[in-house]
Amino acid sequence: MMVFQAAAEELNIGEVVLHHTADAYAIGIEPFFSFHWEKWPDLHLGALTLNLTPTKHVIFLFLTAFLVFLTMRVAGNKLRKQRAGENAPKGFANAIEGLVLYVRDEMAIANIGHENGAKFAPLIMSLFFFILYGNLMGLIPHGSTPTGNLAVTAALAILVFLVVEISGFLKLGPRGYMGTIFPTIPGMGGAAGVAISVAMAPIEIIGKLVKPFALAVRLFGNMTAGHFVILSLFGIIFLFGHLSVWNYAIGVTTAALVVGIMLLELFVAFLQAYVFALLSAVFIGLMQHEH
Amino acid sequence: MNVISMMLFAEEGAAGPASPFEVNFGLFFWTWLVFIALYFVLKKYAWPAIVQATEERERKIGEQLGEAARLNAESRTALEESRQAMADARASAQSMVNEARSAAEKERTAVLDKAKQEQEEILARARREISAEKDRALVELRREAVDLSLAAAAKLMESRLDSEADRKFIEDYLDSVGNVH
Repeated sequence: MMVFQAAAEELNIGEVVLHHTADAYAIGIEPFFSFHWEKWPDLHLGALTLNLTPTKHVIFLFLTAFLVFLTMRVAGNKLRKQRAGENAPKGFANAIEGLVLYVRDEMAIANIGHENGAKFAPLIMSLFFFILYGNLMGLIPHGSTPTGNLAVTAALAILVFLVVEISGFLKLGPRGYMGTIFPTIPGMGGAAGVAISVAMAPIEIIGKLVKPFALAVRLFGNMTAGHFVILSLFGIIFLFGHLSVWNYAIGVTTAALVVGIMLLELFVAFLQAYVFALLSAVFIGLMQHEH
Repeated sequence: MNVISMMLFAEEGAAGPASPFEVNFGLFFWTWLVFIALYFVLKKYAWPAIVQATEERERKIGEQLGEAARLNAESRTALEESRQAMADARASAQSMVNEARSAAEKERTAVLDKAKQEQEEILARARREISAEKDRALVELRREAVDLSLAAAAKLMESRLDSEADRKFIEDYLDSVGNVH
C-alpha cells in the first residue's frame, strides 16, 4: 500500500501517456529487460536535419513487414499445394485468399477501374495489410504502433501522393495533367476562362495536397487516440488506487472499460487500414479518369 | 515499486522524443525503405500465388466473352446472309410464278384464238356446204317441179307439150315463182 501511494504521488499521468505513445531509442519487455541505444549523429542535407537512428517504431516497421510477408507467403504456399492436389481451398489460406481478393477486387479494381485496377492492386493490397498489421502491433502486449507515428503515416501518404500524381501524369499526358491544375470551366472561353483557370489553380493544388495530409493525420490520430484513451483509463487506477475502500471496484471497472476500448481498437485497426487503402485507390482512380 | 508502475517508469531517461507529436524525419527514410521493399517482395513472392487462380479465371472469362462476342457477330452476319438469301429466293420464285402466269395467259389466249378461228372455219364451211346443198336441192327441186308441171300440163291439156318452147315457158314461170320466194 505504501509503495502504491508513493508511486501515485510521483506520477504525472499526462506525461506517462505521451511518453508511452511516443517513439523511443529503446526496446524491451519492461520491467524484465530493456535495451537502449545511442542516437547516431544528425545528418545535414542543406537546411534539413535528419537523424536516421532506428527507433522502436523502425524495429516495429520491420517486424510488421516481416509478418505481412510471412502471412502471405505461407498462405500462398498452402493455396498452391491445395490447388495442386485439386483440394477445395480451406482454413487459414482460404481466409487470407478471401481477404486479399476482397482488397484487390472491391477496393482496388472497383475504384480504379478494370483497365488499370489490376496494375495498382499490388500497391493497395500492400498498403492495406502493412497498415493493418502496423495497427495491430499496438494491441500486442509490449508492442508499439508504427502507424501511430506521424512521420510513418506522412511517409506513406506522401508515397500515395506521388503514385497518384505520377500515374496521373503518365495516364493523362502533360496537357491533360495541367488540366487538373488549371481546370477549364465549361461554357467559359476567352480571357474570362483563362482568368478563372488561373484563379482556380491554387485551390486545385491545395486540393491535391490536402488529400495525403488528411490520410496521414487520420491514421495517426486514430491510432494514437485509442492508446491515449487506454492509458488515460489506466491512469484512473493510479489516481484512485490508493483509496482504501473502493480501490478494487475501481480497478475492475477500469479494466472492463479498457477491455471495451481494446475491442474498439481492434475494430479501428481494421477500419483505418481499410479507409487508408480505399481512399488511396479512390484518389488513384479519380486521377485516372480525369478528363 | 510494483510491476505496472515500473513498466510506466522504465523508459524514463531514454533519450527519445517526449511526445508522439514530434516528427522524426529520419523515419520517412525507414518507412519508405521498409514499405517499398515489402511492396516489391510481396509482388514477386506472395501475391502471385494468392491471386493466380482468380487472375486465371478472369483471363478465361475475358477470353470467353471475346469468343462469345465473335460468335455473336458471326451468327448475326450468317443470319443476315440467310435472310438475304431467303429474300432473293422469294423474289425469284415470285418472278417465276409471274412468268409462268403470263406464259399461261398467252397460251390460253392463243388456244382460244385458235379455237375461235377453227370454229369460224367450220362454221364457214358448214355454211358453204349448206348453201351448195341448198342450191343443188333447189336445182333438183326445180327440175322435179318442171317435170311435175310438164306432166301435169300434159295431163291437163291432153296433149303432148314436149316442145322446147313449152319447156321454156314453164321455166320462166318457175323462175318468176322462185323470184317471188
